[in-house]
Amino acid sequence: MRPAASVLLLTTATGFGFGLLAWLGAYSVLGLLPGHARVLIAAGVATSLLFASFGLGASMFHLERKERAWRAFSQWRSSWLSREGVAAVLTYPVAIAFAAVFWRDGPVIWTRLLGATALVASLGTVYCTAMIYASLKPIRQWHNRHTAADYLLYAVFSGAVLFATLRTLDLGAPGATASAAAAAAAGIALIAKRAYWRHIDAQTPLATLAAAIGLPKGIEARPLDAPHFTENYILRQMGFAIARRHAVKLRRIVLIIGFALPLALSILAGLTLAPMATTTLAVACTGVGLLLERWLFFAEATHVSAVYYGRRI
Amino acid sequence: MTMLPERAPGAKRLGLVIDLDTCVGCHACAVNCKEWNTGGEAGILPDYDKYGPEPDGVWFNRIHSYETDGQGCSRTVNVPRSCLHCEDALCVTVCPTGASYKRVQDGIVLVDTDKCIGCQLCSWACPYGARELDEEAGVMRKCTLCVDRIYDEHLPPAEREPACVTTCPSRARHFGDLADPDSKVSQLVKERGGVDLLAGLGYRPTNKYLPPRRATIPTAPAKPPAPGGKGIGAALLGLLDKALSR
Repeated sequence: MRPAASVLLLTTATGFGFGLLAWLGAYSVLGLLPGHARVLIAAGVATSLLFASFGLGASMFHLERKERAWRAFSQWRSSWLSREGVAAVLTYPVAIAFAAVFWRDGPVIWTRLLGATALVASLGTVYCTAMIYASLKPIRQWHNRHTAADYLLYAVFSGAVLFATLRTLDLGAPGATASAAAAAAAGIALIAKRAYWRHIDAQTPLATLAAAIGLPKGIEARPLDAPHFTENYILRQMGFAIARRHAVKLRRIVLIIGFALPLALSILAGLTLAPMATTTLAVACTGVGLLLERWLFFAEATHVSAVYYGRRI
Repeated sequence: MTMLPERAPGAKRLGLVIDLDTCVGCHACAVNCKEWNTGGEAGILPDYDKYGPEPDGVWFNRIHSYETDGQGCSRTVNVPRSCLHCEDALCVTVCPTGASYKRVQDGIVLVDTDKCIGCQLCSWACPYGARELDEEAGVMRKCTLCVDRIYDEHLPPAEREPACVTTCPSRARHFGDLADPDSKVSQLVKERGGVDLLAGLGYRPTNKYLPPRRATIPTAPAKPPAPGGKGIGAALLGLLDKALSR
């Protein structure tokens, strides 16, 4: 599948934003935030909504007819893309109310409830995003049990490193809990990514060419003449293929920059070793690594319709 | 509304039956499809770089040619590929705007190009690659089963069928109601063992393909050559035959 910049930015940035909001919500629910944390909450919610807005804004560039985007809120009964839009828009007022009530009242029952709602709403939005991909049956690398879990994990992970940075800005150090959480999330995300790659490498193509053209068993087919001599829309979108050797290299880069470095940096920050520098660097590494990871998620995905052109699926 | 409609009892399921045995791969159906639909209600079907080195454009129907083995000999099988108007059309349910829909009365899957935002998710959801983006209008386009022909009462009844069907010179394309077990198309599917493409994915396409039949024509066994006869004449003729065969 062709990796479109708009979609890579959308999924990565909303992952950061809603992941951060989820951590703010979780901390509030667990009562880990003292009364003076209202600045942290306000700044955190603002940051998370900024990231989310950047991602949602980027996604607009994927639409050919942006002026009609409002129509996308209508089909939430069947479409995960529509649900994503509705969930994202519903998350905003919840997040703002959470920050506002915490600013006024501090950690009371209402802020805990609002924090819980923000946690559910933000992760719910990420889940909807993931299900857009996970529900597409023609793409075996997406239509599996890894996709939704992985998107949630990467959101929680990127939110955790962002949260650690905010804590450092607020208190001078991320604190043991936040840095441990970031390191643990990085480790789990790394294991999940490796498991995902193992899974898609072991998959077999969804169909043979013979099955795709309805031939009886025992008959083999190979392409003789294509319908057209130049690349068309289908081949540009669905026929995108990345060379295996590049994929292997890029996977290694993702594992190091996207997961291993943030893990190490989060541990260093937890040990109060230049926490400002280490947490900021962890965010930068996570951003670059996850963008590359998302690029691979698309570039390595194959669409069954390419089989009609005799391409690898 | 992108929810798939409940099928009303007795509702039609219009579709095509394509005979892979008799399709000669002439692309006439694709050309007539383009011709008819470029003048259709949804506007022209665009072509890009028309006279340049990389011509490209939107077509609702694409004709592939394949070589097959396993029927005793190698042969060419031509496969026209277009929208199959699936019963479980994922392209419809993923649409966030309601632009993509399946008609309740006849099962035709259509795009309302006035509502489409060009997010292209439907094209990802279709395993048959039947949806193509109109890069000029920024909306998704697809086969309409010539909905603007088949119900047009200004046309003589014999012409009220999709453009691809009317034009096929080898009559490899058939149009009809696949919900009616007595229709010509349903009978054809029954007789010839019509199949779904990519049946394993579970889209339950309406269009059916008739697999190529075994390409053998029964003939009488070859007879051994008649004996040349006896005598000096036959021997001379044998010699002459040998000399000429050299």
